[in-house]
Amino acid sequence: MNLASVTHDLAFMTPELVIAVGAMLLVLMGAFVSKSAYRAITYLSVVVLLVAGFLGVQHAPDNAQVLFNGSYVVDAFGGFAKLIIALTAACAILLSADYLAERNLEKPEYPVLALLAVLGMYVMVSAHDLLAVYMGVELQSLALYVLAAYARDDRKSSEAGLKYFVLGALSSGILLYGVSLIYGFTGTINFGKLMTIAKDTSNVGLIFGMVFVLSGIAFKMSVAPFHMWTPDVYEGAPTPSTAFFATAPKMAAAILLGRFLFEAFGEVVSQWRDVVSIMAVLSMFVGAIFALQQTNMKRLLAYSSILNMGYAMVAIAAGPVYGPSALLLFTAIYAITSVGMFGVLLSMRDAKGKEITKISGYSGLSKQRPLLSLALTIMFFSITGIPPLLGFFGKFQIFIAAVDGGVMPLALILVIASVISAFYYLRVLKVVWFDEPSVEIVGGLATTKVTVTGVTLMIALLTPFIGLIYTASMAAGHFFK
Amino acid sequence: MLQIAAFYILAAVALISAIMVVSAKNPVHSVMFLITIFVTTSGLFVLAGAEYLAMLLIVVYVGAVAVLFLFVVMMLDIDFVELKQGFMRYAPFGALVALVLFAMFVLVASAVVEAKVDPHVLASPTPALDVANNTQAIGRILYTDYILFFQLAGMVLFVAMIGAIVLTLRHKPYVKRQNVGKQVARTRKTGVENTKPKIGEGVSL
Amino acid sequence: MNVTVETLALIVVFAPVIGAIIAGLFGRVLPAKVSMTVTTGLLMVAAASAITIFIGYWDKSLVLPDEPIRIFKWIDVAGFTSTWSIRLDAISVVMMAVVTSVSSMVHLYSWGYMSDDPFKPRFFAYLSLFTFAMLSLVTAADFMQLFFGWEGVGLASYLLIGFYFLKRSANDAQIKAFVVNRVGDFGFVLGIMSVYFVFGTIEFKDVFHAIPHHIHDTMGWGKLQLPAMEVIALLLFIGAMGKSAQFLLHTWLPDAMEGPTPVSALIHAATMVTAGVVLVTLCSPIFQVAPFASGVVTLIGAITAIFAATIGIAQNDIKRVIAYSTCSQLGYMFFAAGIGVYQAAMFHLFTHAFFKAMLFLGAGSVIHGLHHEQDMRKMGGVWKPMKITYAIMLIGTLAITGVGIPGTNFGFAGFFSKDAIIESAFAASSEGLPFATFAFWMGILAAFLTSFYSWRLAFMTFTGTFRGDAHGGHHDDDAHAHAVHAAHVEGHHDAHQEDGVAPAHESPLVMLVPLFILAFGAIFAGFIFNDAFVGEGAHDFWGHAIYVSPENHILHARHNVPEWVKFMPLTVTLLGLLGAMIVYLWNKGLGEKIAKATGPIHAFLYNKWYFDELYDAVFVKGARALGDFFWKVGDQKLIDGIINGIASDTNIISKKSVKVQSGYVYHYAFIMLIALVAFGALVLLKKG
Repeated sequence: MNLASVTHDLAFMTPELVIAVGAMLLVLMGAFVSKSAYRAITYLSVVVLLVAGFLGVQHAPDNAQVLFNGSYVVDAFGGFAKLIIALTAACAILLSADYLAERNLEKPEYPVLALLAVLGMYVMVSAHDLLAVYMGVELQSLALYVLAAYARDDRKSSEAGLKYFVLGALSSGILLYGVSLIYGFTGTINFGKLMTIAKDTSNVGLIFGMVFVLSGIAFKMSVAPFHMWTPDVYEGAPTPSTAFFATAPKMAAAILLGRFLFEAFGEVVSQWRDVVSIMAVLSMFVGAIFALQQTNMKRLLAYSSILNMGYAMVAIAAGPVYGPSALLLFTAIYAITSVGMFGVLLSMRDAKGKEITKISGYSGLSKQRPLLSLALTIMFFSITGIPPLLGFFGKFQIFIAAVDGGVMPLALILVIASVISAFYYLRVLKVVWFDEPSVEIVGGLATTKVTVTGVTLMIALLTPFIGLIYTASMAAGHFFK
Repeated sequence: MLQIAAFYILAAVALISAIMVVSAKNPVHSVMFLITIFVTTSGLFVLAGAEYLAMLLIVVYVGAVAVLFLFVVMMLDIDFVELKQGFMRYAPFGALVALVLFAMFVLVASAVVEAKVDPHVLASPTPALDVANNTQAIGRILYTDYILFFQLAGMVLFVAMIGAIVLTLRHKPYVKRQNVGKQVARTRKTGVENTKPKIGEGVSL
Repeated sequence: MNVTVETLALIVVFAPVIGAIIAGLFGRVLPAKVSMTVTTGLLMVAAASAITIFIGYWDKSLVLPDEPIRIFKWIDVAGFTSTWSIRLDAISVVMMAVVTSVSSMVHLYSWGYMSDDPFKPRFFAYLSLFTFAMLSLVTAADFMQLFFGWEGVGLASYLLIGFYFLKRSANDAQIKAFVVNRVGDFGFVLGIMSVYFVFGTIEFKDVFHAIPHHIHDTMGWGKLQLPAMEVIALLLFIGAMGKSAQFLLHTWLPDAMEGPTPVSALIHAATMVTAGVVLVTLCSPIFQVAPFASGVVTLIGAITAIFAATIGIAQNDIKRVIAYSTCSQLGYMFFAAGIGVYQAAMFHLFTHAFFKAMLFLGAGSVIHGLHHEQDMRKMGGVWKPMKITYAIMLIGTLAITGVGIPGTNFGFAGFFSKDAIIESAFAASSEGLPFATFAFWMGILAAFLTSFYSWRLAFMTFTGTFRGDAHGGHHDDDAHAHAVHAAHVEGHHDAHQEDGVAPAHESPLVMLVPLFILAFGAIFAGFIFNDAFVGEGAHDFWGHAIYVSPENHILHARHNVPEWVKFMPLTVTLLGLLGAMIVYLWNKGLGEKIAKATGPIHAFLYNKWYFDELYDAVFVKGARALGDFFWKVGDQKLIDGIINGIASDTNIISKKSVKVQSGYVYHYAFIMLIALVAFGALVLLKKG
């Protein structure tokens, strides 16, 4: 590669460059401008993300562009995912502002780390070889470990960070081991080349390495049985960090896994379908069953995200023809809904400003904060998949994909898991609407309010425009052959 | 012949050291065995003709990482014997899992002996030593073909740096720090003040 | 101004629904008068538009578009599509005119009739909603929209029958209507499915065009193969039977009289119950190639005609008499359709709508005047205070009994349409159509009974001396579940209390005006439209809307029937009148004596052939026993057992498995490794 081709390729990476340069400038700003610049940096990082997300869509090339000797791909599929990632990450950053300020944690590094994590996610969704996969995953994870331990004087937060880090390192090791196996047996790490090799030869080592990589990414997606860290980390980490974990990274990891399996192993679906199906079933089981016992809202939402990633695995199991669009649509809707749910969680403060995470603390919320209750209800209905709302369409698309893709049993299990999960979502709503108030609940602060309102409106108002999102995700999904 | 003998000796030492890392009672010994692994591994790299990586391993892992480990081990007062108490409880099952994993690796390795890597699929095959040595060869592609990953690695390090600062740096308000610039810039005017307090009121400092 | 027929049609269909939405959603906040004005006003506009189209089409100054007006696609599932449309042809034009004009009259009438009801906006919203559903039914261009309208009118009917929702009997009646209709609807739905199964489309146009290719199709399971057309026709007819209260599925209609009288007039006499006739007429291309099914239609229609008429003579509730009369007249329409004279069926539908709505509204006027007294035994002598109503009712009775001079063009509306049907039945019987002879004689007999019970009603109600409670006894039969009336009427009428004179008052103008307008229709509708509907102009008028097979000449043949046939209906009508005069006008108390003398027969008729009791014993009790079985054994023991079992098992599993989540990092790591090994083993085993 010469300079000309590097600049040519970089031109397609404007969104990534915007984030990287933005993050570095904001670090400098944080270092040299006084502490009061925290708010400004937070808002600027949101702006950076919105610009990057917008550019990602605006600059999406008509045809998939493979850059840097086949390591990186820019296409509509990734563009759509990047937009949603940027959007939800921006929401998560906005949600953090008040929370951190209230706890004397308002350091400019928080939004900067989030930005860098988003950069990692961008690399993940655009990865077209295993090295890019690894770099993206590491860039993202490393930033997330820090965000988990961000409240460093809080034992739980430190514990969460450490747990996440140790297990994350293990999973990265597994992933890297898989990469080395694949490289060792085939001599390439490029998705396109792997596709031809996997098709032509029956290479056990390749498939074995694939399972390792798959498991490594599954950890990032928090898919059972690699999900064990999720509830602990979600509970321990500061709530805005949890809000962040539950949204954009999940989507990025799901998209990455989809791309890896569809683009490198799309011709040999039967080789990985069993593994993916088992993971899907386990996740749905864990997400639906374990959640029944939870009394802590953050843990509940952790299981909810495991459950939803189980659904995403169903979409992947549906194969490269039917899977991509469903995966994209579902994860996008999940990420949006999820950030909204955490917004509600962050709005739950008692009179002293302490956050309420116990489900029992939600009792009688409707009598004190009717609008907040309404927002929560809309989001829970959406994620349960009650028809007119957004969440239904994502789930429905996966169901269709599963049926078309020939994994009918998974579709049935999906329905059963939905029924069980409806119970615990509705149980919270029952507490909210029908129980007597126990503690005084003060709503969220300004930015939280704005975000929750925004996301709720988005869910409620986007519903009529589901066709738009649907068409977009379908078009993006069809980039695969 | 000599090469093969060297390979087996080095490999054997590395494996035995690996077992010792896990089983040694004294954590300092563990770190020492770890260093042994690094050294033998770098020997294996030399055998494979990757002298640059061999040196890198010595410099980075032995020189920096392992030393850091030693510091940590010595600074933390952890009772490793107590930590290992649960070991036997999980040992049988763990051994079983390890055995299965091992069997699978053998299976995989033996199954694909005949499958040769097609040299055409290699993105950047290592050039012959008389064309360019390792260092040159890596240097040639690192800043060109792999510029993207090089930069991304930079971003990863950037995150690590920020993360380390965020999690550890503390500005303790009650610590009085020495500010050399301020000391040097001190003049008589800023250092001395004449006041005429009224009788009985004293001076407020 | 140049308004296209499309625009007018859109106004006709959508004006009522706008009214319904406004009155339904904002009726609580708006003053009642606003809701009433809006709904009535919009209905008037719709009626004006519909009549404009109808008249325009009738005098050929207006050409209807060939293609239905497509509005939007509302169902599109894998090849099964349905487009919301307005089909414009002779049938829909006639029906739009009938529905909107009667509906607008009923709206207006309700201003007076419902004047003391506190829930007027709801009432008017339902009425308008009904009208919209009925219009979407008659203008449907495919079976799916037809079904939508079909269920929509069913819903509106349900809501309106139970309008006095505090009244137990009204609740029972509404449920009965709904459930009995469900039986018919089930057949209807199966019919639609069969149509889709056979033709691959539900669009009327496409289906009817494709019939020649499918005449010999069969459908069924394995060896049991039935001709597809017959099956479809029969299933559709079952749907029609339910909605049009034909024999066996008729039981709901008399009970539906629990609703306010304007509702009875609009829904259970003039419009909704004729939907079945419309369906059969619309599907004439299918019925024409299904001789067996047509025979069944004839048979059921004829039986209904006579059966309902026999019950009608023994009833004492004024509204029930008219309800059975409706049932009987619907029987006429069906057997007309069964023998292939769909034109006559539609004509009778058309004229019947006017005079039956008028009779009902007239009866409503009497009921209103007598403070909601419905029992004819407690009436009598009402003509004095209610002269206008009396005149109206006489016109209605003359119209329904079909008084007119055969061979000329003088007669009331019913004369033209009913005679056309009876003559056609005779013509059909001479052509050897199944059950046509039976239908003819039943028609004649029913005409006699019709005349008898109609005049009986008129005499018992209006002539003689008042037999009721002198103080305008306050009965709850009809309206006053909401009981706001009492204070309003007491004393008001004591002033002009005379012996033997009914303590009634003439209805207000707002109720009388609709009666006048409908009376106009009842007198002249037959005379004016006879030619277009069933005469020389019939072929041009109906155009492609009604398909009649080339061998079918009954409509023409009826002109050539013997003279005695032509005079037969009038003769029996006059006989009926004579009989009624003897029993109820000249010999007071003879009615009761006859009833006593013919004890079992009277009881049999009075109890409606014991159909309710029979159904109660077989279906209701049977269903309850079956339900009890499923409830107590199937549901409580089996299903609840399983569900509760699953639920508690889920809970137990959940509690146990949560323990895996220990919080120890090495546990988690261990599980990850085990999973990794397991997955590796899985792919390796699969590989080889």
